[in-house]
Amino acid sequence: MERDGTVTDEDPGPLVRLYGLTGGRARPPGESFDLVAIVTTIRTPFELPGLNPEHHAMLSICRRPTPVADVAAQLGLPLNITRVLLGDLRREGLVNIDPPQPANQTIDERTYRDVLHGIRRL
Amino acid sequence: MEFAGFDRPRPSGGTLTATALKILIAGGFGVGKTTMVGTISEIRPLHTEELLSDRGVGVDDLSGVETKVATTVALDFGRITIREDLWLYLFGTPGQDRFWFMWDELALGALGAVVLADTRRLQDCFPAVDYFEQLKLPFVVAVNCFDGARRHDPAKVRRAVGLDESTPVVMCDARNRASVKDVLTTLVTHAVSRR
Repeated sequence: MERDGTVTDEDPGPLVRLYGLTGGRARPPGESFDLVAIVTTIRTPFELPGLNPEHHAMLSICRRPTPVADVAAQLGLPLNITRVLLGDLRREGLVNIDPPQPANQTIDERTYRDVLHGIRRL
Repeated sequence: MEFAGFDRPRPSGGTLTATALKILIAGGFGVGKTTMVGTISEIRPLHTEELLSDRGVGVDDLSGVETKVATTVALDFGRITIREDLWLYLFGTPGQDRFWFMWDELALGALGAVVLADTRRLQDCFPAVDYFEQLKLPFVVAVNCFDGARRHDPAKVRRAVGLDESTPVVMCDARNRASVKDVLTTLVTHAVSRR
């Protein structure tokens, strides 16, 4: 699902075309959510009118809990557009979007050690 | 079709928790933010152009979007997987001042920030330093040692930028993986010690 060239061109035209995917919407329906909020698919409908292939790809990716930014990376879509489409899925009750906890509250001793180790072994 | 998500072991009695930590890479235009993200990311860093909506005004129609075409902002991000359920995301922040509100969102709940500095134009990093100081977000200043740039003593950089003693200043090469790893481990250690 790479869209090479469409999002990095200087000419903003392709970006506007990508907004065709969202019906021109630049913001997701409902409460806003963070770029690293965790998206989890609750159910995958066999068919639901109004879902496009990108929606279906997102439902497939998020069977495994996945941060919003990663959904965008995997589909090669701009973050804003990804958020609008994920907002659609949330509105339909197909995904949960869990806000991330602030880092200074989630980092315990073990996480800290794991993060250091994870960076060093790269 | 994969159904891996349904097969994952879950901690007994609890829901599966997945955590994504944010680290911001800030600094002036052309200082090496994109390079740094690319050096360390395990995925091909995504460079996206975000189309900005006019905040506060409904733009639920395509004509509204078209009038905002000029307002795009570049954002780079990369990822480091720490554990199966824990990721670090690096976001290269937009350099232009008019996108401060995007910084607010990126900084919310972030672990910390790297302020990349170039000693030839040190003043370019001042806005980022001011911003993170006000926000009380832990940050380190990483001096990107470009070829030909004069090597600076960290103490001199600290004085020139007006940093307090607790904020780490490190020399780095944004193209070098080991060097970027050092910057990130310094930041993580600083962020944890600050709590």
